[in-house]
Amino acid sequence: MSFPILSLLILTPIIGALTLSLSSSTQLKNKTIFLSGLWITTGEFLLSLLLPIFYDKSKNGYQFIEFHTWFDKFDINYYVGVDGVSIPLILLTTFLVPICLLCSINSIQNRAKEFVIYFLLLESFIIGVFVSIDLVIFYVFFEAVLIPMFLIIGIWGGENRLYATFKFFLYTLAGSVLMLLAIIYIISKVKSGNIELISDFTFDQQIELVLFLCFFASFAVKVPMFPFHTWLPDAHVQAPTSGSVILAGVLLKLGAYGFIRLSLPFFEYASIYFQPMIFALSCVAIVYTSIVALRQLDMKKMIAYSSVAHMGFVTIGIFTLTQDGINGAYFQMISHGIVSAALFLIVGVVYERHHTRMISDYSGVTNVMPKYSFFFMVFMLSSVGLPGTSGFVGEFLVIMSTISVSVYLTFFTAIGVILGASYMLLLYKNINFGDLKSDIKQLADLTNIEIFYFSCLAFLTMLLGIYPKLLFEMINKSISLSII
Amino acid sequence: MINLFQFIPEIFILSLILITLCFGLFNKDRAISLNTLGFILLSVLLLNYGKDFYSSTQISLNTINLFVLAKIILSIGSIVFILLLKRPLKNENLYRYEYVLFLLFAILGSFVLISSNNFLTAFIGLELQSLSLYLMAAFNTKNLSSNEAGIKYFSLGALSSGFLLFGISMIYYDTGSFNIQNLYNFTAISEIGLSLVLISLFFKVSAAPFHIWTPDVYEGSPTISTLFFATLPKFASLIFLFRVYQELNISDIKSLNYIFQMVCAISLLVGVYGAITQKVIKRLLAFSSINHIGFMLLGIMSYQFMSEGTLLFYLIIYLITTFGIFAVLLNLRTVDGEFTKISQLNGLRFTSNSKSISMLVFFFSLAGIPPFAGFFAKFFILSASINDGFILLSIIAVLSSVIAAFYYLTIIKNMFFNKSEIDLLDDNNKTGKVIFILSGLIITLFFIYPDPLINLVDNLFK
Repeated sequence: MSFPILSLLILTPIIGALTLSLSSSTQLKNKTIFLSGLWITTGEFLLSLLLPIFYDKSKNGYQFIEFHTWFDKFDINYYVGVDGVSIPLILLTTFLVPICLLCSINSIQNRAKEFVIYFLLLESFIIGVFVSIDLVIFYVFFEAVLIPMFLIIGIWGGENRLYATFKFFLYTLAGSVLMLLAIIYIISKVKSGNIELISDFTFDQQIELVLFLCFFASFAVKVPMFPFHTWLPDAHVQAPTSGSVILAGVLLKLGAYGFIRLSLPFFEYASIYFQPMIFALSCVAIVYTSIVALRQLDMKKMIAYSSVAHMGFVTIGIFTLTQDGINGAYFQMISHGIVSAALFLIVGVVYERHHTRMISDYSGVTNVMPKYSFFFMVFMLSSVGLPGTSGFVGEFLVIMSTISVSVYLTFFTAIGVILGASYMLLLYKNINFGDLKSDIKQLADLTNIEIFYFSCLAFLTMLLGIYPKLLFEMINKSISLSII
Repeated sequence: MINLFQFIPEIFILSLILITLCFGLFNKDRAISLNTLGFILLSVLLLNYGKDFYSSTQISLNTINLFVLAKIILSIGSIVFILLLKRPLKNENLYRYEYVLFLLFAILGSFVLISSNNFLTAFIGLELQSLSLYLMAAFNTKNLSSNEAGIKYFSLGALSSGFLLFGISMIYYDTGSFNIQNLYNFTAISEIGLSLVLISLFFKVSAAPFHIWTPDVYEGSPTISTLFFATLPKFASLIFLFRVYQELNISDIKSLNYIFQMVCAISLLVGVYGAITQKVIKRLLAFSSINHIGFMLLGIMSYQFMSEGTLLFYLIIYLITTFGIFAVLLNLRTVDGEFTKISQLNGLRFTSNSKSISMLVFFFSLAGIPPFAGFFAKFFILSASINDGFILLSIIAVLSSVIAAFYYLTIIKNMFFNKSEIDLLDDNNKTGKVIFILSGLIITLFFIYPDPLINLVDNLFK
């Protein structure tokens, strides 16, 4: 198909943002701005739906390829294409961005135009990461994501937002520059930035280890893995609801996507060499952050720590280097993208009404907000990993695949599941059950818009949980290629 | 018989000086705008016939390209500068045609410096340039700090000129020649002499640890002069430094190479550590320029891989960004005069769209965040240096740019997140506005359409 659908996917939000920025802000009401943003992002979502429809699952390699020379002298090209690994993540992105805009119509009152513009830019940069198959443009998009996110957290965040947004930006940047050096080194060796060509190239073993660590520095911060995770709770707590949603839903997946797309195929020797280290870090992440999550007083912080734990499953799954493990990890990525996004929205709903995120300030919410409690329950159970929800499939596959590696690993991941159930259930119990607090009595139940997006998310969780083949069909072939 | 043909650009500027001198007595406005025209003419001349000027000489084609391109950039830079200078000078009651004369002398010196093949000519060029700069620093005679900046700059500059002369004489003692191109068979004496020459040049481009004058001079001088110090003379000195490095094969001389690498690393680090705590924006820019000089030195050292192209590209992007930033700064005033503190930028987002967004673009570009052009500039320099084997320096460079991101982000934070405390007055200088919007667009759109700028330096890529 010669239709440049991928470039269109990247450009649509940018063009939307440009037209919005050129319109005069004094005449437009907030609502009109959000509506136009919604139109653009919904159009983008529909456009991205073409990808799975026209994607040929029986073929190997990338599809919808577009190639333009960019910098002749350096062999850097605008080279984009998608395969089974990128399509679900693109869909997840285009699906979550309209929801982010929907949930902020009421909560973002000042500087609405800027807000929508940053979100549109963010969307196109993220899609750029997922479609690029040239290392340099991958890096360009990977880094560019930081700019709108920095502004979103910094402008509309909570009271300690400056600290959080600086920490987020500098942590990620520090990781990424090492990857930049590795990328430059690789390009100077292979004489091309093409991902497929680099996968075929074998480096010296010692150098490969160093290069792997450089990429690891960047992706481990993004995922985030255990010692590099401290930016995440801060960023989540301070970010506005929509920022948390996109952060947990998509940005964390960039790191895991990088592991699958770049680290595994480039550095086969190093991936096996560093397997124990990554398992150890992930086990610590799962157990330690789960315990930390148990003791949190702030709802958002608790879910942020649970994100770290869940992403621990993802990294374990990826580095089992088996088809099942990576499939499971990937499934967990998508599932976590939906569920954690939904949980942050859940927190956002009560925060918007009651202006506090402390768990102790709520109790007996189910009496006044029954619909809310229902949706909360769906996502809470999915996060716990109840069979029939999407959370189950990923965790199950990952745990299953760890048995072939080490029983201890299985033990620790299983402990993570139990701990996960305990803190999520505790959170649910403390907020929804118990005596109704007097100052909660006037809280209004979900509005129609909220019901709409929660049901979309809940439907997706159930669908993936009951019929996971939908996703596996798409990714199986591409993932089997990346293991070798 | 000396071929005068190759001096046409210099003669052109000299005649421009004479015309301005005579004309300025009667009508300073016309004299100044005449210079704009003159430089436009000069750029067109260089663009079309630049290479012919040097065709009768025995200079290699690559070097001729470098001469022509550097001179074109200097003339275009001068056009922009002359367009910018009117309003800020008027605001300070300094609007006199002599200022343009100093500018012309400095540019003349830079031209001579760039294309000199002889240490003595280079010395004359450098002195001509520096003396005009001292005067520009002290141009605001009623302001104490401006005087202080001028004197500081002069006394330290004179010291470094002394080093330069001493170094040149040592080289002459050893080799019996002032010629840059035909120096071989160094003994220890020439090496010492050459290191003194290098130190003097490092001083001119304000590379650490020879940077001490930079923050004070930047802060004290009138902002418009600071803009000039930060851009064109530095550009010319760097080109000359590059030529010295290349012509004398300094990469082969162990001791000098070591000095070069040390200075590069120290500049990278001193630049960022100095900038973190700064509260005055011009001081911050001074330290940030030291950090960027580190990158440029890295580019000079790794010319073997991709030749002058990477360095020139970095320089061009840096010039455009610096012009943009200063165009914004010159457009802003507080109620009681020029604004100086970073905190006075608070809430710029709410008062001016175009300014705050351009500043956002410039500072992210300086920090090297894609998709802005600054990223690609750094990317090319790093590719060149990694290919040439400067791995450790590259690592220092990228880590320093992470730290640098911190203070650039602080400025963006002030503009975008904070509420304004004092009212910034908008100067409404139309030319300034055009210049910063244009540079912002170039920096942003380079990502989408890199060809024009790449082609500009293209003939310098191997």
